[in-house]
Amino acid sequence: MSLKRLYGLSLLILSISAPAQELKLDLSYKYIYSNQWDKIIQTYNFSRPFLTKMQPLLMSGLNTSLSYIFKNEKHFKHGINLSYSYFRSSAENENFNNSLNLHFINLGYLLHYENPDKWKGVYSELIVSATSSGLFRNLNGEPFEYDETKSKAFGIGGDIHLKCGYYLKLKNNSYLSPFLSIGYTPYLYSPNTEAVINQTKGLISKNWTGILTTQIGLTFHIEKQTNDLPNKGIR
Amino acid sequence: MDRREFIKHSTFFSIGGLLIPSALLSSCRKETLFEDINFGGNVIIIGAGAAGLYAGYILKSKGIDFKIIEASNNIGGRMGKLAGFADYTIDTGAQWLHGKNNILFDLIKSKNVKTTLDESELSYWFNNQIVTSLPKDPFIFEEENLPDVSFKDYADQKGFGNEYDNIVEAIAGDQGASASLLSAYWNSKDEENWVSGDEDYKFQKSYFEVIEEHIAQPILNKIVLNTPVQSIDYSSDKIIVRDVNNVSHLADKVIITIPISILKLNEISFNPSLPPEKTEAFAKFGMGPGMKVFLKFSSKFYADALYGGSICGAYVNDTLGKLTSDNVLLAFVMGDQAAYLHSLGSDTAITNALLQELDLIYSGQATTSFIASRVFDYTSKPFIKGAYGFSTINMGNAREIAALPVDKKLYFAGEAMNTNGHHQTVHGAVESGYNAVIKFLNDSKK
Repeated sequence: MSLKRLYGLSLLILSISAPAQELKLDLSYKYIYSNQWDKIIQTYNFSRPFLTKMQPLLMSGLNTSLSYIFKNEKHFKHGINLSYSYFRSSAENENFNNSLNLHFINLGYLLHYENPDKWKGVYSELIVSATSSGLFRNLNGEPFEYDETKSKAFGIGGDIHLKCGYYLKLKNNSYLSPFLSIGYTPYLYSPNTEAVINQTKGLISKNWTGILTTQIGLTFHIEKQTNDLPNKGIR
Repeated sequence: MDRREFIKHSTFFSIGGLLIPSALLSSCRKETLFEDINFGGNVIIIGAGAAGLYAGYILKSKGIDFKIIEASNNIGGRMGKLAGFADYTIDTGAQWLHGKNNILFDLIKSKNVKTTLDESELSYWFNNQIVTSLPKDPFIFEEENLPDVSFKDYADQKGFGNEYDNIVEAIAGDQGASASLLSAYWNSKDEENWVSGDEDYKFQKSYFEVIEEHIAQPILNKIVLNTPVQSIDYSSDKIIVRDVNNVSHLADKVIITIPISILKLNEISFNPSLPPEKTEAFAKFGMGPGMKVFLKFSSKFYADALYGGSICGAYVNDTLGKLTSDNVLLAFVMGDQAAYLHSLGSDTAITNALLQELDLIYSGQATTSFIASRVFDYTSKPFIKGAYGFSTINMGNAREIAALPVDKKLYFAGEAMNTNGHHQTVHGAVESGYNAVIKFLNDSKK
């Protein structure tokens, strides 16, 4: 199943989740750091002096996520979060335009906390999720294939995110919030990554990696109109 | 703090808090290894085969002083070219790029080098006839959990009768080995890290010329030919490499890329002696006899690829992918078969033995259309002495031990020292070459 289809299907499932109290949609810039992946790309660049333009590290990308908050306690809410991130590294050399496309999909549990009495309009979230990744290589605009299969590396692991944001009211029951987030993926098992990037296996890296991320972005919130919802301290 | 103020502050801290660390982190993250390396020493590379040439090519790109000392009178090691025999340049050594997910495919793609996918249909000489399929599939050596027995013994265990012997010999010959010596288990373990792909590519010009033009050319002035190394003294800070003319060459690091056969025979003496585990590891490698014989004919009466001869395991049409009107058949002979042909003692005797077998297979057409032959016997080359390194029974982690540096002074490269599944290939030798440079630069970090 393609990533787009999976994402579409997830959206559909979530959209019919009747108990939802709040829907949130994020769009953010995401910065990623994996020591292992850096080493692979650095080795690729080091070993190929015939390519004058170096392959940039996988560093900056975009993230979008959708969250549903199910429960409504005084300060704590629970929900689920689905997110998708995309990173790209491209180096255009003569006859050799090499690009790496990295995708992540996370699906996880979300714990939302806000205390309007203490921190007006401020909220924080802890998201623990399962993560899956897909790395693909394109050469001269085409998917790079060998033995009639695409060069690809899939990964699976766990991720934890901490997010802080601030509500800005737009209209009744809708808010916009700038947020900051930091994340850590202690373990992403992706044994074929080195084979996609440096075309070797076992020369540079382990078959798993840890990843650090930071994000800055905006969240659009729509809240279900009920009387028992606490306000966000900014009404 | 009111809302407006909070927004102002939070925006400021958000941007500052995230982008400034990101920018700082990004500036710490270099795009390549050793961007700020300051290695002021010099390096001697022993051997101008693919590994040695590529190590030199990398060192030149990093501005590090080096010299390549080559024993023979030409570069390339187990690569070479033959011009004038046919109307195209023949590769006398390595001639296929094995797979395209590798560094050399990147090189040829970026240099717009023309290649052709070798889609030759494999035929077999089986029970005295040419067939395109066999009653039993003999490619049984890539399964998991194979026993640590030879290819031949494993084929016997799986019920392949004597009629398959020459086919199994040809399959082992692909690894440069005799079927009786190549370990089914360790060979399959080696293959686990193979990520290059299974397709074979041939070059429109020769493979050797591609390496010569794009890798060797920029460093030709750094190569000293006809200089066999006799000893390496690494007992003091400066390593002394002494050649057969008793000339001493001083170096801070030495990259040794000579074939495993030469290391096994201790043809270079070391002071102090190499650690025993190292020499034991060398001893565990196999490196059998290997030979390529090019036979030129007036007509093409032969199959593009035929396995199963008793004199030669694999006959291959050499002209595939070439711009040529000539008919050249390659006899690719390895292991026991190469040892037998080598024992015949002359190129004429070797050619006659092959023609006799081809006459048997192709009803006498070989002798009648034969024009000329050229024999390249790698067993008799004094600085090579074989085909390529292979994994024997009880190999264990000998390859990893053999490839380990010694005393942060001696580094080992070459196809046999490739520990990531690409040994026995040119791109594997290239990988070992750049990896040796990475290792010594890492060791040189203060």
